[in-house]
Amino acid sequence: MSTTARYVHPERRSANPYADEVAADPIPFYDALRDHTPVASMLDLPNTHVISRYEDVKFALQHPEIFSSDLAAVDIGQDRPLLPLQVDPPHHVKYRRVMDPHMSARHFVPLEDEVRGLVGELIDGFAERGTCDVHAELTVPLPCTVFLQLCDLPGDALDQMLEWKDGIIRPQLRHPEAHDPAVAAQIRRRTALAIYEFFGEVIAERRARPGDDLFSRFANGEIDGERMTDEQMLDMGFLFLLGGLDTVTSTLDCSLAFLGRNPERRDELVADPSRIPAAVEELLRVHTPVMQVLRVVRQHHEMHGVRLEPGDTVMVMIGAADTDPDEFGDTAGDVDFDRPVNRHLAFGGGPHRCLGSHLARFELRIALEELHRRLPDYHVPEGAELRYSPGIREIAELPLEFTPRPRRSP
Amino acid sequence: MRIVLDAERCTGHGRCYALAPEVFDADDDGHCVVRVSGEVPAELTDKARTAVSNCPELALTVVDDA
Repeated sequence: MSTTARYVHPERRSANPYADEVAADPIPFYDALRDHTPVASMLDLPNTHVISRYEDVKFALQHPEIFSSDLAAVDIGQDRPLLPLQVDPPHHVKYRRVMDPHMSARHFVPLEDEVRGLVGELIDGFAERGTCDVHAELTVPLPCTVFLQLCDLPGDALDQMLEWKDGIIRPQLRHPEAHDPAVAAQIRRRTALAIYEFFGEVIAERRARPGDDLFSRFANGEIDGERMTDEQMLDMGFLFLLGGLDTVTSTLDCSLAFLGRNPERRDELVADPSRIPAAVEELLRVHTPVMQVLRVVRQHHEMHGVRLEPGDTVMVMIGAADTDPDEFGDTAGDVDFDRPVNRHLAFGGGPHRCLGSHLARFELRIALEELHRRLPDYHVPEGAELRYSPGIREIAELPLEFTPRPRRSP
Repeated sequence: MRIVLDAERCTGHGRCYALAPEVFDADDDGHCVVRVSGEVPAELTDKARTAVSNCPELALTVVDDA
């Protein structure tokens, strides 16, 4: 039996997305899923399904009336649904109408210089050294600092925010005992309460003294003709913290690991930085940092002869869809910055399409532009072993080496 | 050639106005607006076709009247 037998069992119709080797190199896992068992169970658990073909994944994302994103899909210790992710149409659109204008591509244009300056400052921290852990020194602090600036929160809240998002997303990182799911649930609950308390105070302050930050803007939003409540704002803040920080970190980690090991591809971007936006889309597609999202079945539905029943959990394997040869051709697994058609679903699709996608693209583009301009020969040192986390593919430590360069002149 | 937008399908990925800003724009919510009314000028048809074919929601269609 091939090595895929460790994580995909066609005869049992079962898959293990959490196998150690999957997060580091998911494409063979994706291929095995799509080819042999397009509707698999998750770890043999009853009433779970892993779907992986592009057409099936897109259908699920576009049909929340069948594949719901509501509270039942993900329990991470929250009191109420995260907004707008865990509310389906028709109510969902009311929240998106309040939030989308503040998260559109146009909205971030005036912030270009500020974010470029921030990236420059972070690169200054290691440019003269000739070596860095780009995860700890750039890809983690960048999205978190941008989040703090958008929310007009003090820079010294950085460590607290990072502790909270890890406490929810990967509690075992700082608490080894969280390998026990019951302990993990306790840590998530404790973290969630701390997040509610912190943002509760922020919201009260912004109501009293409104500024130009995201919370002040949302505070003026109306849902069903009523001003947004404190609870609704809390539920948006919670999602922002979870969605806004980890995903950009993992996308940069995956992208820089690839480029740092494929110098000829890195050099293409050094030679012509105008290709960076296309490179961002292509790296998002092939490396799909958020490998999957979860949905709950709300209506009977049949897929490839498998009956999906109301209440069943569906793991929608976006990474597998994004490398499906039926959509992307024989070169689906290759990184090609000139790919003419790239309808990737790395930001999801349908009504729940990632609210922060334009902010993410903005941060990713500027980070890659500055890094390629200032440290054009960066690479991952020979023999470095990279540890990817499953689900959201962060790399625990990502060493880069490069010719030392001066800091920017003050 | 003309472009037809199915606004019900658009969810604001923004690939169209990133790839062909001369042909597409975003409304306040970041959803697609076709800037060109009627025939797309010949010098923009290639760009417009690339943008149309990159819509993940298949919300855009090219109509060739010829």
